[in-house]
Amino acid sequence: MSAGLIEAAAMKSAAAGALSLAFGGAPLGVLLIARRMSLVGDAMSHAILPGVAIALLIAGPDPLALTVGALIAAFVVAGASSLMARARAMPEDATFAVFYLAALALGLLLISKAASADFTQALLFGEAGAFDHAGLILAAGAATATLVCVALFIRGFLGEGADPVFMRAVRAPAWALHLLLMMLVALNLVAGFRAFGALMTVALMMIPAAAARFWARDYVGQAMAAVVISALASGAGLIAASLLKTEPGAVMTLAAAGLFILSALAGPRGGLIQSLPGRPHLEG
Amino acid sequence: MSAISLHNLTLGYERRPAVHHLDGAFSSGGLNAVVGPNGSGKSTLLKGLAGALSPLTGHIDLDGADARDIAYLPQDNGVSRTFPVTLEGLVSLGLWSRRGLFGKITAEDRARMAGAFAAVGLTGLEGRGVDQVSGGQLQRALFARVLVQDARVILLDEPFAALDARTTGDLIGLIRRWPGEGRTVLMVSHDLELVRELCSQTLLLAREAVAWGPTAEALTTETLLKARRLSEAWADDPVICRHDDHDHAASAA
Repeated sequence: MSAGLIEAAAMKSAAAGALSLAFGGAPLGVLLIARRMSLVGDAMSHAILPGVAIALLIAGPDPLALTVGALIAAFVVAGASSLMARARAMPEDATFAVFYLAALALGLLLISKAASADFTQALLFGEAGAFDHAGLILAAGAATATLVCVALFIRGFLGEGADPVFMRAVRAPAWALHLLLMMLVALNLVAGFRAFGALMTVALMMIPAAAARFWARDYVGQAMAAVVISALASGAGLIAASLLKTEPGAVMTLAAAGLFILSALAGPRGGLIQSLPGRPHLEG
Repeated sequence: MSAISLHNLTLGYERRPAVHHLDGAFSSGGLNAVVGPNGSGKSTLLKGLAGALSPLTGHIDLDGADARDIAYLPQDNGVSRTFPVTLEGLVSLGLWSRRGLFGKITAEDRARMAGAFAAVGLTGLEGRGVDQVSGGQLQRALFARVLVQDARVILLDEPFAALDARTTGDLIGLIRRWPGEGRTVLMVSHDLELVRELCSQTLLLAREAVAWGPTAEALTTETLLKARRLSEAWADDPVICRHDDHDHAASAA
């Protein structure tokens, strides 16, 4: 097989992985942004570091071990912080800040002991080649789990977002729903971090979701818009990265940011052009 | 006919009572008002009745009703105005007690929703986002949700604050019907004129019950003055309450 063919195959894998992450991450990003929890995804992406580091110390740079380590760390941090928020009536973002900063510190400490500089670089910015067979299955699995869970529990997620006080009054299982949402976020981040880096994966979850607010009013519309924007950003980012001969994570994030600016300008819901002063106002 | 009774009820936060030693009952024969100065414990009492706050001492007898039978409209409604949800989505939350997370929304439920929108005068605005309506329209939608909940006990915390006369009038029309339907209604209000006109029973609070009974007897110049005096006494360094040593000891044991 020629080098060109191998490159084309790797590109296809990366594109398939990115598309899976778009379907998984975007619906979650819209929920997080609408609930003013956009920093939670960020926090979670840091929180997986100690898990990765511990897996690296135990098993070496084995992809499966790294993934399992990251998943365990994310679940522990998500569970612990929502337990803390529930038990002590602290705002979730405050407990999250504590847990993720602690996790980040621990992760950096362990990684500086255990890993080479190359590995740290790959962890932060990703390697598109990481979408091997197992990586693709994980990404597709994360997307499937996310879509199935969001569809099953949509009433609870929307209720929690729209009126949490009411949901508490009618004894809705708020805590379980919240934990489920956090687990899904963790799963999608873990599915993406080896290919696109921990930080860039969360960017691909949140930026398209933020841009989607300019295109649709209700949750379903925003989630669909976010999937499309995320897929476009990934596609453009992958092509640009291969032309620039660099890893795609950062380029994809910049592409997403570009689409966000485009949305903020041209989007029909509060976009700049649509709300320029001087346009005649409507009758009603 | 009494539906909710309080037995030496004390509610508060971190051992400090917001309202203490309440004994009495709310009737389902007419509308009940809860009146008192700011900080007198009105909202705390409603929170306690709604089950959002556990009593420090004493207990509440809801006559067999549980959380599903209570519709609670807090003073600061918890609606997130930036969340992408329509009025229809917001009102449909009223079905939660019956349908829960997975229950099928039936044709009957849809008819009930449509009826609720019509009753509060919002027909046609079902598809508006919660970020696209006025405060009055949102309050109408929250009343529609109460209608959809179809609860035996309805707790309203200052439901007319910041509403214009027409919206207030429309909503009062709804409230008036509820006692006749066998519902127990408690309404916190600062509008004494409205309370005198609308509510047959009144609890006047000032961190304790100053008066509780027929509205005309509960709201006199004398009782209102007493309520104001009591509510202004708030110690920075409180000692343990000895109001009823026997009961405190009994509940601790």
